[in-house]
Amino acid sequence: MPRESFLWEVECLGDIVMAVSDRSTKERLLSVLDDLEVLSRELIEMLALSRSQKLPQPGEESQILELLVQRDGEFQELMRIAHEQGKVHQEMQLLEKEAEKRDTDIQQLQKQLKEAEHILATAVYQAKEKLKSIEKARKGSVSSEEVIKYAHRISASNAVCAPLNWVPGDPRRPYPTDLEMRSGRLGQMSNLSTNGVNGHLPGDALAAGRLPEVLTPQYPWQSGEMSLNMLPPNHSNDFMLEPPGHNKENEDDVEVMSTDSSSSSSDSD
Amino acid sequence: MAASPLKEEPAPEDCSLLPLVYDIIKCMDKDSPDVHQELNKLKTKIQEAREQIVTMPGIGLSPEQQKQQFENLKEQVRTKNELLQKYKSLCIFDIPKS
Repeated sequence: MPRESFLWEVECLGDIVMAVSDRSTKERLLSVLDDLEVLSRELIEMLALSRSQKLPQPGEESQILELLVQRDGEFQELMRIAHEQGKVHQEMQLLEKEAEKRDTDIQQLQKQLKEAEHILATAVYQAKEKLKSIEKARKGSVSSEEVIKYAHRISASNAVCAPLNWVPGDPRRPYPTDLEMRSGRLGQMSNLSTNGVNGHLPGDALAAGRLPEVLTPQYPWQSGEMSLNMLPPNHSNDFMLEPPGHNKENEDDVEVMSTDSSSSSSDSD
Repeated sequence: MAASPLKEEPAPEDCSLLPLVYDIIKCMDKDSPDVHQELNKLKTKIQEAREQIVTMPGIGLSPEQQKQQFENLKEQVRTKNELLQKYKSLCIFDIPKS
């Protein structure tokens, strides 16, 4: 490459590097460092060639030297800028950490606000429901005297609690009797009059003798004959204790039969 | 980007290559045998400078871009601080006294 064109290229490159300011400092530093390397090599080669050929070329050497000095100055300036950028970078890192911390705080606050909103929404809903019920109660208001009268009427018929001197058989009691249950709608639905007499009657109702005979329950254990008749006849011996010698005869029969069979077989032989 | 300690970086004035070039020219003038050694020094210096540039933090942007980014970050932090202050100082649960 002719030296003139090389020098021209290097100058142009330098101008481009200076003009394009949006290139990163790293790229510019590396570029200037490459220039420095090329220029210093060129200068040394030129000097070595001129020494060997004894041909002084002061014009070109001085041009390259000027460029070298210029690029070296640029390199130092860029290194200074890079040094400053390093400091700014540290500050930026601190700022980024602070921004992350603020982000965390904001997220925490947002979470708390959402929780508060939920709690408040629930409280408002409950308060509205309560207001509704208050309004409803206000519309259908009943005087306290009326309520007390009604309470007296209920308690006078022993519908709330039994009298203190209550004894079995006394009809004054808070819960309904069996007959009352049966005469009610529930009793009619489930047909308690036919199926429900199996041991659930209270003893006082029986003692009072208020049930008709048809409805009086008949329990198996109340009559010995009944229980015996209920058992099937072929099972009657299963539950009876037999004397120890009772099966002896059967066993002897079996032995006799086996003896007969053996003798008959021997006879056939 | 990992930040390397700035203390290890040489001062910008130590980055000049001219003293080494001058030493080489001086050796050539004297026909000294140390010229190869001086040449190696220059090569090593250039290589070290290249490695240092690659590892330097914060020079992936131009100074203008970095400044812009720095301003953006400051603005971001300021906005977030204001937002937090605003929410913390809100008295939304204050009941007006009748």
